Amino acid sequence: MFILISVLLLFATALSLAILQVMRPNYRFAWLVAAGGAFLTWASVLLWQARMPLLLELPSWGSAALFANSPFFLADAVNWPYALALTTLGLAVILTAVVRENFPAPFPWAGALTLIGFGLLAVLADNPLTLVLIWTALDVTELTTQLISVEGRASERVVAGFAARAVGMGLVLWAGWVSLSRGIPFDFRSPLPEVGVYLILAAGLRLGVLPLHLAYATESAVRRGFGTTLRLVSAASSLVILARIPAQGIISPLAPFLLVLVAGAGLYGGWMWVRSPDELAGRPYWVITLASFAIAAALRGNPLGSIAWGSALVLAGSALFLSSIQHKTLQRILLVIGLWGISSLPFSPTASGWDVSANSSWAIWLTWPLLLAAQALLAAGFIRQTLRPAASVPLDAQIAWARNIYPIGIGLPLAVLILLGLFGWDGARLLGTLPAGLVAAALTATLLWLTPRLRWLNPIRAHWIRPQQGESSRLDSFYNTLWNIYRSLGRLSESVSAAFEGDGGILWALLFLVLFLSLLAPRIP
Amino acid sequence: MNAPILWIFLPLALGGFLLLFRHERVLTILGGTSVLVLSLLAMLIPIDVALGSDAFSFKLAGSLNVLGRSFVLETADGPLLAILYGLAAMWFFGAESLGLARRLIPLGLAILSLLVAAIAVRPFLFAAVFIEIAVLLSVPMLLPPSQRPGRGILRYLIFQTLAVPFILLAGWLLTGLETSPGDVTLTIQSTAMLALGFAFLLAVFPFYTWIPMLMEESPPYLVGFLLWLLPQTTALFAMGFLDRYPFLRLSTELLDALRAAGLLMVISAGLWAMFQRHLGRLMGYAAVAETGFLLIALSLGTANGIQLVFLQIIPRGLGLAVWALSLSTIQSHTDTPRFSNVQGMARILPFASAGVVFANLSVAGFPLLAGFPVRMALLESLARQSLGLTLWLALGLLGLTVGAVRTLAVTTLSEAEAGWSSRETRTQFVLIALGVLALIVLGFFPQASQFLLKNLPALFENLGQ
Repeated sequence: MFILISVLLLFATALSLAILQVMRPNYRFAWLVAAGGAFLTWASVLLWQARMPLLLELPSWGSAALFANSPFFLADAVNWPYALALTTLGLAVILTAVVRENFPAPFPWAGALTLIGFGLLAVLADNPLTLVLIWTALDVTELTTQLISVEGRASERVVAGFAARAVGMGLVLWAGWVSLSRGIPFDFRSPLPEVGVYLILAAGLRLGVLPLHLAYATESAVRRGFGTTLRLVSAASSLVILARIPAQGIISPLAPFLLVLVAGAGLYGGWMWVRSPDELAGRPYWVITLASFAIAAALRGNPLGSIAWGSALVLAGSALFLSSIQHKTLQRILLVIGLWGISSLPFSPTASGWDVSANSSWAIWLTWPLLLAAQALLAAGFIRQTLRPAASVPLDAQIAWARNIYPIGIGLPLAVLILLGLFGWDGARLLGTLPAGLVAAALTATLLWLTPRLRWLNPIRAHWIRPQQGESSRLDSFYNTLWNIYRSLGRLSESVSAAFEGDGGILWALLFLVLFLSLLAPRIP
Repeated sequence: MNAPILWIFLPLALGGFLLLFRHERVLTILGGTSVLVLSLLAMLIPIDVALGSDAFSFKLAGSLNVLGRSFVLETADGPLLAILYGLAAMWFFGAESLGLARRLIPLGLAILSLLVAAIAVRPFLFAAVFIEIAVLLSVPMLLPPSQRPGRGILRYLIFQTLAVPFILLAGWLLTGLETSPGDVTLTIQSTAMLALGFAFLLAVFPFYTWIPMLMEESPPYLVGFLLWLLPQTTALFAMGFLDRYPFLRLSTELLDALRAAGLLMVISAGLWAMFQRHLGRLMGYAAVAETGFLLIALSLGTANGIQLVFLQIIPRGLGLAVWALSLSTIQSHTDTPRFSNVQGMARILPFASAGVVFANLSVAGFPLLAGFPVRMALLESLARQSLGLTLWLALGLLGLTVGAVRTLAVTTLSEAEAGWSSRETRTQFVLIALGVLALIVLGFFPQASQFLLKNLPALFENLGQ
């Protein structure tokens, strides 16, 4: 019931905003409606702590013999940090909207709150069926938004991103079927170790980490408010499944190789992030890098570590990406707390991020330096983007109430980040892997010292993977090869169907029939 | 009053009567409303059950004898009739917006009533004859008098007609088997004849080549109507055989063959769909895959499998109707719906393009759409038996999904910075939007259709036991 209240609050607010905009376009209190709804939702999620675990079961689809699962939502200690992070993001988007040029913008607010609602449902999904339903709603929302806003051939990239995420959904379903084939209906509370690898692949695919690709199209169409919500909600909804990987790790010979690939993706993401010209251009790399850390944590048998990295991704990310106003004190707070949030130092939210519970393997040792280097790049990039000489308007130029509201919008995610680090989940308030945090901090300091001295550390736009239309990339040649193979197979299929449908088609059909019968014949009594 | 008269002879006569009308609107209103009323009656009035009090009692008799043969509709047939006539109403109302009412409604009504007769006739062997008459009646519907028949229509006619002798021969052999049940040779012969007959009727691989060909040659809306109705009723006819003869329904070899044929249909259709560049042919392959799903569900040999067969009826009919309407709308704006011609079409026909993509995704079992719960249940049932077969089925679905994604990519692709507009007519917009909405509702709440489906397995009391 509590889950329903929180989610309905979000959807009702979004619907009210849309109706108000249509019926009374100049309604003065639209922002208050949005802020009120977002705040009430945030507070209600905070209150979940009093009654957890919370369950919400929708009407069954049919007999249990026919449908192994029906839509079912569960709020527990594992997904509550994500739920709180997402509702915090929603509230922060509305609070910081007061300084945007397009204020008031009820439709984008309604869109953002709807996305938060879907995101909330996704992180609470208790079984693969529920998760893919909500993922689909999110993906279709993103697809529609992007297709309407992009021009020319950029739509191809939007559709390709949608397809990659759809394959990720397929992998989660496959995990469910593997579990069923062993006689156990799959839910996220007690997954089989054998299916963990499919969950990791699914998350990796949806986040653009496995294989490395930009999961999202060009960033130009949707920027701060709605764009940040879209990216972070989508990331959180994919990352949440990592927290359900069994603590003993995954049983798969692929695991070490996946860890190496993930570490490579993290390093590349960190590299691109540190060299991004601004924080919005670097947003996809922020997601890739932190998502890599979360996936690596799951692969190293530390699912709770994935929550730490995932929460940092959403909360530190929302504070950074929503920040668009010059204000020294606010920037310093953002810098210190945000950096603390991703530092993995003792008692920080990510302190448990580098813990290892899985059996030691060559891949774990090999990936240590890669992951720590990636973390240093991420932190250095965070410092650079926070202290950038912004071309934006100073806070003092805003009207009085906006001057007071905006800092709350930036400060709230940071405050929640600290709170989560202390009380968020079993395993918060830890010393963590101190040497790893110290090495990453030292590397970050070195990078910062080197940045003004080495030109190649400074922002450029050349990429392996292509965020902008018209720029080629090295990974493109790989994907082009796959495309060429696909086209060759297409020509082959056309030839075969031409033979079947030509003058000799009936003879071909009879030939195949004989073949088919001869294969079955020995088994007919 | 008599149920066979109401749901077989009345619509047949009405179909003939409607041939006299020329005006599309009048035909649509008469035809559409008639089937809608028949659907509602089937839903509300139980067959062979006395209604009312002692003073006034009413019973709709379920049986009618004609020339020594009988037509029998039972209580359990009611929901099936409601679904068939309800979905037919959807097709008929959509026909006017495409200017196809004159070709579809009179003959469509006649075909529908003949196929209902095929379900109801006893001895049920005569169903093959009724199906053949329906096939013959579909030819003038698909082919206007001025047009020469193409290869697709000829092949359709050949394959469907070839089925009749095989099934009649099987029936003759089965009669012999009833007198000497232990005759193994007769068992093998009759099973083989039956399998061949249904392979032709259901357009099982490799006999489905006429479907994509026909989709290219004839209006997709009319072909879509046939692809919805024919395999559906043929499958029920086939289930009648399985229900009646224990040696058929208990034969693991036959179930294996059904599963192999179904999987082959899904995989091959998925494979062709993956590389297809003609929207009409893509729909044809999806219809082939749908029949494959029916066979796989039937091959499970369990009560769940039978439930799954019935669970597919509404998503299949709805999906094909939305797809055919959307595709026909697109085709009315271009010569042929090849990818090269429909590039950027979503910017001028957004609802029709969305309809094609959503319907395609629904057939492919994409989440949130009507096909998803059915495919999920099928895949889960199969996973309990064999993970390898589940993988093959999933690959077939992947092929269909790739077809949908490519359609989406092509229809939204625009070289110039073109804006968005909508050139669909109001009727087309309303019908497609309602259809897509229904697909989504059934995708999230499949139990919404349970009140129609829950008693359908009672039609075949021995199957799945």
